Amino acid sequence: MMPRTRFWPLLAFGLFVLSLPLLAGYLWLLVSAFSFQVHGLKPMGGLTLEHWRFLLEPIGQRPPIGRVLLNSFVYALGVAFLVVLASSMAAYALSRLAFRGRGFYLGLVLVLHAFPAVSLLIGIFYVLQLLGLFDTLAGVILVQASLFLPLGIWLMKGFFDAIPWDLERAALVDGASRWIFFLRIALPLVRPGLFALGTFVFIAAWGEFILPYTLIVSSRAWTLALYLQSLLGAVDLADYGLVAAVGLFYLLPVLVLFLVGQRFLLTIYGGGVKG
Amino acid sequence: MRGFWVRLFFLGPAGVLVLLFFLLPVVLTLFLSLTDLSTVTFSQPRVVGLANYLELLRDPSFPLILKNTLKYVALTLAFNVFMGLFLALSTNLLPDRLGEAFRALWLLPRITASVVYVLIWQGIAATAPYGLLSQVTGVSVNWIQQYPWAAVILANGFVGASFGMLLFSAAIKAIPTELFWAAAVDGAGIKATVRYVVLPLLRWPILFVTTYQTLSLLTSFEYILLLTDGGPGFYTTEVWALYAYHLAFSNYYGNARFGLGAAMAAILVLVGLLVSLLYLRLFNFRHLLEVPRIEVE
Amino acid sequence: MRGFRVELQQLSKRFGQVEALRELSLDIRPGELVALLGPSGCGKTTALLLISGIYRPSAGRILFDNRPVEHLHPKDRDIGMVFQSYALYPHMTLRENIAFPLRLKRLGAKEVRERVERVATLLGIAELLERRPAEVSGGQQQRAALARALVKEPGLLLLDEPLSNLDARVRLQARTEIRRLQLQLGVTTILVTHDQAEALAMADRIAVLAGGRLQQYDVPEALYRRPANTFVAHFIGDPPMNLYRGQFTPEGLVGEVRWPLPSGGRPPFLGEGFLGIRPEDLTVVPAEAPEGIRGRVLLREALGREVLLTLALEGGGQVRALVPGGAPYRPGDVVGVRYAIEALHFFDPEGRRVGNGDAPVRGT
Repeated sequence: MMPRTRFWPLLAFGLFVLSLPLLAGYLWLLVSAFSFQVHGLKPMGGLTLEHWRFLLEPIGQRPPIGRVLLNSFVYALGVAFLVVLASSMAAYALSRLAFRGRGFYLGLVLVLHAFPAVSLLIGIFYVLQLLGLFDTLAGVILVQASLFLPLGIWLMKGFFDAIPWDLERAALVDGASRWIFFLRIALPLVRPGLFALGTFVFIAAWGEFILPYTLIVSSRAWTLALYLQSLLGAVDLADYGLVAAVGLFYLLPVLVLFLVGQRFLLTIYGGGVKG
Repeated sequence: MRGFWVRLFFLGPAGVLVLLFFLLPVVLTLFLSLTDLSTVTFSQPRVVGLANYLELLRDPSFPLILKNTLKYVALTLAFNVFMGLFLALSTNLLPDRLGEAFRALWLLPRITASVVYVLIWQGIAATAPYGLLSQVTGVSVNWIQQYPWAAVILANGFVGASFGMLLFSAAIKAIPTELFWAAAVDGAGIKATVRYVVLPLLRWPILFVTTYQTLSLLTSFEYILLLTDGGPGFYTTEVWALYAYHLAFSNYYGNARFGLGAAMAAILVLVGLLVSLLYLRLFNFRHLLEVPRIEVE
Repeated sequence: MRGFRVELQQLSKRFGQVEALRELSLDIRPGELVALLGPSGCGKTTALLLISGIYRPSAGRILFDNRPVEHLHPKDRDIGMVFQSYALYPHMTLRENIAFPLRLKRLGAKEVRERVERVATLLGIAELLERRPAEVSGGQQQRAALARALVKEPGLLLLDEPLSNLDARVRLQARTEIRRLQLQLGVTTILVTHDQAEALAMADRIAVLAGGRLQQYDVPEALYRRPANTFVAHFIGDPPMNLYRGQFTPEGLVGEVRWPLPSGGRPPFLGEGFLGIRPEDLTVVPAEAPEGIRGRVLLREALGREVLLTLALEGGGQVRALVPGGAPYRPGDVVGVRYAIEALHFFDPEGRRVGNGDAPVRGT
């Protein structure tokens, strides 16, 4: 804990000034979503809800928002669930089971973690084609989940490492198998980690653009990212209200999740990448 | 024997996923780079050896792409690290609640979906009378088109800085308070404390953030794709990763050339592998490998 | 409850290059409480983990009632274990903790309930069953851990430093309670500790370990009066025995100290060796008294019932003597030190005991 300095109000002001662009940006989004036009940050011609018509009717040839929203939801939830499940199981094994080659797998996880996953897109594209999962939500979910595994395993391993050995030994003497210990004792004990990981992955998957963009072609499988991106090119500056409204709509769930789970996330972002 | 099944069970799901979508693509990327696979030759690709690599070297835009990549990585990295450091230090000098609020604010770009984030940039950087920037400066241009490099670096920087901010902040919080008391007793003011107590203790996190983000920047292209798509014009802001992506997936040429794109990606993959291994070495892998204290399954 | 007969035959464990336990052989009778005593790193916890099945032996056998068990999983060995940290599952109530082993055996809810309450009452924690471990005191946690170990009525109870995390006051109480309980139930018990007073107070027999090797295995009195080597001699007894290395001459020991033997006394052998005498076997008398080694008081430590004096001897060297509480000697006083020749312990140059005589328990 650093000591307070006398000049902190000055520092705070400086930070505030630096943060103005950020604040301005999000403010613009908010205002634009509800105004006919926005000059700078000023709504011209009063406020309106007309941009939010996308909630009621499809825009052009695009699928209805309900479908897109559902896709995004299924996608983010699916990825989060898969990552939490696979990561915690693998992390438990790497943390607590003794076996030859453990060092190797751990090293592999580390290497993958620092790896530029995105450069594998071409290879991934091909694999999906081979598996017949190209242009399906399921395919992208699997890919996205895999790309998060190194981080997930890394993070959960830290949590499992913290469980006292005596606890596990006691469980074995009590008659539990490793799987029972994992299910009934270890998992409940690492619950904060599971939540943090799940939330983080959900947020990241919710906002993911490149993967669905590259691996999905049919509009019926669109996520909100693709929906919004299709609007970006197609709409005139003067009509940005619609795009802003969709953008705000897209942002809202994450914003809420973030405000609610803020403490959580700060621990995972801070401690999630271990040097 | 029983141990084998237990291990297989726990490592299975993650193992399968990693195998299919990490390891297999790596192998495939390397292999595809040696073929002439494209939308035209999709059903009948031929192995062409190193032809793709040669073609890349002879590509006239190649030097430009290389230059762009280095420029992008260097400048964004500098912004990320310095801004991250500044944010961490300053928010920790403020009262807790205020510091947290600022850190949360600076985390926003990271949690905002990339499409929305770019949308906001476009809205602010638009021409008058719509764009705030144009309004405020009185100069009406599309700021992104006019200053594409500034836009690319800042847009990525605002997102990237939060990574360093969080890591450095965590490291700062871990410094025992007694150290600060000792420094105060020794007569150090805030500047001296930061210089002689805090910064030296941040050496490892700084090194870590620098290497991690270098790797990350070398291969990132999402924001550039959305913001300028490598333009304006011909390859003004086109970086290596984006070029590879374009070669393989865009329809500029009407013929998506997977083999060629794969060659570029392959080089990236190899660079990635090398840096990752280096970085494993650097960060003392061994101490993470604690020995399990139960020998039965 | 019955207890196993436990036999360890040449039990060894090595971790990489390190030999944590070397050829430990012990025979433990049913219902006996045996302490594994030694300093940290001596291999006692390793031995316990081998007996419980959490570690696999590098060599040797373990038999419960003549059945080899060294290849069995802990859950098939019918044992109960209490860890130094108690290892209670933090997210479960005490009731759920204690019930856990029975649940794993798939016993019916009614039977589980009955057995949990029975053992909880036995250990005096019946009213605490709905609490979580963090909500009860250290002593209560320990009893809950014991309850969990005993609820499945095992043939062998293993205790790993069960008292070291308790406050000094609570420790003494717990010591007696555990021993009483163990005698009542008749379960064979192996206790690991580094506290020699604890071992002496609780155990039927004690196995002293050092450097992974067994030093001596015997009843407490034998360890006290006839320590098999200098390690045991020094480890057992508080304050520790005075031990000196030197040369035995016909008159006594010459070396770290000049220790003359009383008239008529002769050492059992000549040449290099060790001499030992317990502080409580020394009597301090005024300097003028005959038949004593003269020395000057350096330090006086008041221990309440007794006083520990550190003396600088006339011929060189120091000795510590335990005297009754009221003794008037103060630093600087010149005094005499007396003892009986039977109270001396002789050891050969390798530290092994020489001579069969019993040392008297106290005083001359």
